[in-house]
Amino acid sequence: MTKPVIEVQNLAKDFGKNSVLKDITEQVDAGQVIVVIGPSGSGKSTFLRCLNLLETPTSGHVAFNGEDLTTLDTKRVNALREQMGMVFQGFNLFPNMSVLENIKLAPMKVKGISDAEATKQAHELLQQVNLDDHADAFPASLSGGQAQRVAIARALAMNPKVMLFDEPTSALDPEMVGEVLSVMQQLANQGMTMVVVTHEMGFAKSVADRIWFMADGYIQENSTPAEFFAHPQTERAKDFLSKILM
Amino acid sequence: MKKKVIIFITLILAITLGWATRPTTAHAADDSLVRVQKKGTLVMGTSPDYPPYEFQATVHGKSKIVGMDVAVGEKIAKGLGVKLKVKSMSFDSLLVALQTGKVDMVISGMNPTPARKKNVDFTHLYYQGGYSIVVNKSEKGLYHDKDSFKGKTIGAQTGSTMYNESKKQTTDTKVKGMTSVSDLILALQSHKIAGVAMEKPSAQAYVANNKQLAMIPSHFDLSASDTSAAVAFKKGSTALVAAANKSVDQIRKQDLVNQDYLPAAGKYLKTNTVNTSMWHYWKAFLTGIEYTLIITVCSVFFGFILGVILSLARMLHGGVVKTLIRWLATAYVEFIRGTPMMVQVMFVYFGLGLIVNLPALTSGIIAISLNSGAYVAEYIRGGINSVDDGQTEAARSLGMTSGATMRFVILPQALKNIWPSLGNEFITLIKDSSIVSIIGVSELIFQSNIVRSDTYRGVAPIAVIMVLYFIMTFTASRILNHFERSMQHD
Repeated sequence: MTKPVIEVQNLAKDFGKNSVLKDITEQVDAGQVIVVIGPSGSGKSTFLRCLNLLETPTSGHVAFNGEDLTTLDTKRVNALREQMGMVFQGFNLFPNMSVLENIKLAPMKVKGISDAEATKQAHELLQQVNLDDHADAFPASLSGGQAQRVAIARALAMNPKVMLFDEPTSALDPEMVGEVLSVMQQLANQGMTMVVVTHEMGFAKSVADRIWFMADGYIQENSTPAEFFAHPQTERAKDFLSKILM
Repeated sequence: MKKKVIIFITLILAITLGWATRPTTAHAADDSLVRVQKKGTLVMGTSPDYPPYEFQATVHGKSKIVGMDVAVGEKIAKGLGVKLKVKSMSFDSLLVALQTGKVDMVISGMNPTPARKKNVDFTHLYYQGGYSIVVNKSEKGLYHDKDSFKGKTIGAQTGSTMYNESKKQTTDTKVKGMTSVSDLILALQSHKIAGVAMEKPSAQAYVANNKQLAMIPSHFDLSASDTSAAVAFKKGSTALVAAANKSVDQIRKQDLVNQDYLPAAGKYLKTNTVNTSMWHYWKAFLTGIEYTLIITVCSVFFGFILGVILSLARMLHGGVVKTLIRWLATAYVEFIRGTPMMVQVMFVYFGLGLIVNLPALTSGIIAISLNSGAYVAEYIRGGINSVDDGQTEAARSLGMTSGATMRFVILPQALKNIWPSLGNEFITLIKDSSIVSIIGVSELIFQSNIVRSDTYRGVAPIAVIMVLYFIMTFTASRILNHFERSMQHD
C-alpha cells in the first residue's frame, strides 16, 4: 500500500483560551478528493491552514509524504509548501501584478526557472482555466470567478501534489460558482489529490471520494458521499443536513 | 536661539565625550605648529558677511571670500610656510568649529574678550577699530549716539561683542540679535530696528555702498580688547600662536591693515556692487540649487534604505536578540523624531567631527539621511501593515520564504500605498535641506545669504530662492504624481 499524502495525528489548535481544533487524526491518500463540510465556525478553515502550516498547530502532528512538518525547520517547510497548492476564499491575487505575472512569480523566484519557461507554462495553465485572453489584465479588472480561476492556475504553476481549497466559491456571485467548480472537477478528474472546504453540497456529492464532517473541533464523520448524505450517523450531522437541504 | 543651540551642543559634547570643556593646556606636547606644517595647509574659519573684514566677492567670474581678515590670514600662512584655506560658516559656529578641529584658526573680526579667552587662545591684536551705529539716512537727524535710542530697538550680530555691549550700555533700548549683518541691514531698512551696531570699518563699507544709510558714532565705553580684533587658535596651541604672532606683529608695525588691506578690500567692495542684478549672480544660485539637489537626492536615497531596515527591524518578533534589535530601532526612531533636525545636523558635524573629520557636505547628508530614515521607517511600517494578510498567506502557500514574500509581494504594494507620503518626504527634504546652511554647505539658502551680503540687497535674493524652491518642489511633485499614476492598476 502506498503511503498517505497527508497524515494528521492528534492535531489541536487553540487561539488563546478558545480551542478551535481539539483532536483530529485523519489521512489523505494519493488521488483522493476530500470534501470537508460542517457548520460555520467549526474550524474547517483552521484545519486546512494547519495542513500547510499557515497556522502552527498547538499540538499534534501533520505529515506530508511521511515528513512531519511540525518538526522541520523553516527551509524544509517552505520546500514542502511548494507541493501543496492553496486556493483562498478571497483569491489573494497580487493586485500590483498582471495575471501572467501572478502565475510566474513563484516558479521564477522559488524554483528559479527562466522567464521564458515560466511564461510558456503560465499560458498553458491559463488555457486550462479558459483565461488565456486575460493574461495581461490586472486582478482588479477581473470578475470573482475569473480571479479565482487565476488563483487556481497560480497554485498549479508550482506543480503541487495536493491542492487545498478554502471555501473557493463562498465569495462569488452565484452565477460564477459554476465556472470555478468545473475547473475543480476537471482537476479531480485528472487525478489531483484535493482537500476542499466548501458549502457546495452538489460538488461534494458528485466529486468527493470522502466527506469529512467537522463540528465542535472534531471530525465527527468520515464516509463516502452516498453514505453521508443518505445516512448520517451523528446527531450533529443530521441537524446540519436538515438545515442546509431544507 | 542659535546661541542656545550651540551651548546645548557643547554640553552634549562635554557630557558624551568629556572633551569640549577639558582644558587642552594640559597637553604634554604642543604639536599644533608641527601638525599644521606637516599638513601644508592652514584652515581659516570666517563668517563672510562682514565687509570689509570678510565678504564674498566675484573675482574673475568666481565667487571668493576676500577682505582684510583674509589678507591677515594669508600673511600668517605665508609666515608659517603653508597654504591658506578659507572655510566659511556662521559666526556662531566659528568657535565650536575651532574647538572641534574643523578649522585651525578663526579670523572673523573677533574681539578677544575674557570670556572667549577662556576657551581659545588669541594672538596679539592685528587691528583696533571702534564701534559705529548705522542708521537710515532719512532718520540721521534723530540719533546722535547709543543713548538716542530710548524706547527704540537696535540690532547687532548674535554672539558678537557689540550685541553684549549694546545690551549692557544702553537703557530703555531693546537689542535685537540676528545671525548675519545683511539681515540686520534689511531689518533697519524695513524699519524693524532703528540702528545697527557694528565695527567702524564695516559701518563705513555699508554706508559707502548703500546711499540710504548713514553712520553715527556709538560712544560705547569700551576697553581696548573689546574694540579690537585678534586671531583665535585652539586652546593650548602655544607654538602656533607664537608663530602667528610674528606675522601679526609685522602687520601692526607696518600698519598693513590701514595701508594695504583695507584699501584692497574697498576695491573688491566697489567692483562687487557695480552689478547687483540677480541675473549677475545666476552662478551662485545655480551652485545653491546643485547642492540642495545633491543633499536632497542623497538623503532620500540613504534615508529610504535606512527606513526600510528600521521598519523591518521594528517588526521583528521572537527571541532576545530580535527583541533587542526591535527595541533599539524603536528607540532610534523615537529619539530622532523627538529632536530638532538642526541639532542633529550640528551634532553630526561638530560631535562626530571629534572622531572622524567629515566635510560639511558629507555631515549634512549623513544627518539628514539619519533624520529622514526615522520618518520613512514609520511610513513604510504603516504601508506594510496596510497590505492584506492574505497576500502574505498566498505567497507563503506558494513556497516563498518570508524574505522573498516581503521583497516581491509585500514591499512593492506597501510602497505603492505610501508613495504619496514618500513624495511628501522628498519635497519636505528639498526645503529642509536648507538647515545645513548653518554648517556652511553652499546650498540655496547659504548662497542667497552670500548674494545678499555681496549686493547689499536684502529682499531680491530671498524672492529669487523662493521661486527657485517652488520650481524644484513643484517639478518634483509633478514627477512623483506621474509615477504614482503609472503604479495604479486598480
